[in-house]
Amino acid sequence: MPDGHAPAQHAALAISCVDLSVSYGSRLVLGGVSLEIQPGAWTSIVGPNGCGKSTLLRALAGLIAADHGQVFLHGRPLQSCSRRERARSLAWLAQTSAPSDLSAAQCVALGRFAHTGWLGSQQAADEAAISRAMQATGSASWRARRLSTLSGGERQRVNLARVLAVEASILLLDEPTTHLDPPHQEDVGQILREQTRGCAVTVLSAIHDLSLALLADRLIVMGRRAIVGHGSVREALEGDWLSTAFERKVTIARLDDAYVWQPQLGKTVHD
Amino acid sequence: MNAASPIASNELHLRTDEAALPRYALWLMAWAAVTVLLTAVSLSVGTSSIRTSLKWLMSPDASSNIVLWHIRLPRAIGAWFAGALLGLGGAIAQGLFRNPLAEPYLLGSASGAALGVTLGLLAADASLSGLAWTGELGVTGCAFVGACVAIALTLALSRGVLQTASLLLAGVVVAFLLSAITSLLLLSSPETWRAMQAFLLGSTGFISWRSVTLLMVIFVICAVPTVLLSRGLDALTLGEETAQSLGISLPALRLALLTLLSLATATTVAQVGIIGFVGLVAPHLVRESLRVSQRQMLVAAPLCGGTLLQAADLVSRWVIRPAELPVGVVTACLGGSYLVLLLWRRARNA
Repeated sequence: MPDGHAPAQHAALAISCVDLSVSYGSRLVLGGVSLEIQPGAWTSIVGPNGCGKSTLLRALAGLIAADHGQVFLHGRPLQSCSRRERARSLAWLAQTSAPSDLSAAQCVALGRFAHTGWLGSQQAADEAAISRAMQATGSASWRARRLSTLSGGERQRVNLARVLAVEASILLLDEPTTHLDPPHQEDVGQILREQTRGCAVTVLSAIHDLSLALLADRLIVMGRRAIVGHGSVREALEGDWLSTAFERKVTIARLDDAYVWQPQLGKTVHD
Repeated sequence: MNAASPIASNELHLRTDEAALPRYALWLMAWAAVTVLLTAVSLSVGTSSIRTSLKWLMSPDASSNIVLWHIRLPRAIGAWFAGALLGLGGAIAQGLFRNPLAEPYLLGSASGAALGVTLGLLAADASLSGLAWTGELGVTGCAFVGACVAIALTLALSRGVLQTASLLLAGVVVAFLLSAITSLLLLSSPETWRAMQAFLLGSTGFISWRSVTLLMVIFVICAVPTVLLSRGLDALTLGEETAQSLGISLPALRLALLTLLSLATATTVAQVGIIGFVGLVAPHLVRESLRVSQRQMLVAAPLCGGTLLQAADLVSRWVIRPAELPVGVVTACLGGSYLVLLLWRRARNA
């Protein structure tokens, strides 16, 4: 890959970054990462704990300042976009959700802040977006419940609804399936798949459950601070990137249309 | 899910939101009713005994007319607005710092105001030009300037508004430092110390119509923008990074709210002295009975704070009548015992 991308080359991309380095204090977390994310695809980021998945998502969302390098949003440097513009195009989901005293509906309505601003009131379009998002995540029946009274998984779904309500073109999701039971994890996979249908939305999600991560269209496999590989799921499996990233053998089995991660533990006991 | 479900959810939405609203509205009306009642009672309680009756209200004599309309009524209304400003300050501080122990004086405004008044009184004693200065500024002016200087010092020490922890720490440091200086100055001048008593323990006894107007204007100036910014506080309850990702500028929000908080507390301290616990307790009292968004909190906490201070003022005039207790002592006793009760109940529920 040649160095020194001209912004023009990034225009067709949803989001991209060039030579991005981020450190917390003296600890380098991301070292010179370059990425090009095509629009309309669901990309999973996988890698061992502490490899910088969350940091990468935060940097792409513009929530932390990079030491070095640049992020481009639809070909424009992220810094040159206004705060409101950024919030309308990039929706970010945090790894943990706070037990706030807001009701679920109030929380989801905050997703429309980038559209309404401080003084604007909710229009019909905002109401519709909120309603759709809550419907899609199955959180509509808790509208009036406080987040602090919901379970971790329920709260996660409300926060996902908040992210969907933004109606952003790019979703940056940090572990969207934490606290969720397997059927609801699958629902989230379904939602993300539907979002990317028709190339409407680009989804970038860090997911630690490999079977779920492999449902995506593309995979970014991260090792320590850097990217091991970025490509389609098939490319990733053929190149055995996962074993490189996790520094041990990772066995993926094919089950009908899906890939499943196979733990080694069971085998060694029975053999 | 079928095609009819969005409509069903809209109906659900209307029903649940309407169900939550009456409780909040009833709560506000109950507190407002208590306020009206307290105002009426406080008109008939005081050092000089006036028998208020309907007949008397029709044809009052001159002296009781003065006591009623120029001492008791402004005092009752002023106490409400002072308490409301403290309640608003407490709600802002607890929302902004996401800490239930935050209170309006946490940036050092109270200690700054005390030092300002001390310096003013000492200057007036020391020289003629000092007297002229203090005369020009007034005790309330000295308190206001002192509070503002203390807050500026805190912000300078914490190097801006970005780091919550260093801001809180700087507030504590400034408060202790300025209190130490005040104590040192007062030790060397016992007369000033006696004069300072009313201020240090808080007093609603000096509220004139002029103070009422000032408190009222500042309350409106602080409350309106704060309520407009309440969605920022709502977003903050989801975490600082999430708030940022929603398109909210944290530094700008903090700066705006801290400015409003400073204006509210500096004004209150200047008018009624240092009255503790009202700002801390009012949001807790709201949270005990209602689970509310920040916007609702910013309306409910001032109402609660105003009523609390009015009640405390009434108690301070009642307990050892015809003499008066300093109102700050009463709020400390009432507020402190309420917090103890809260602690006890939590320990039992846990």
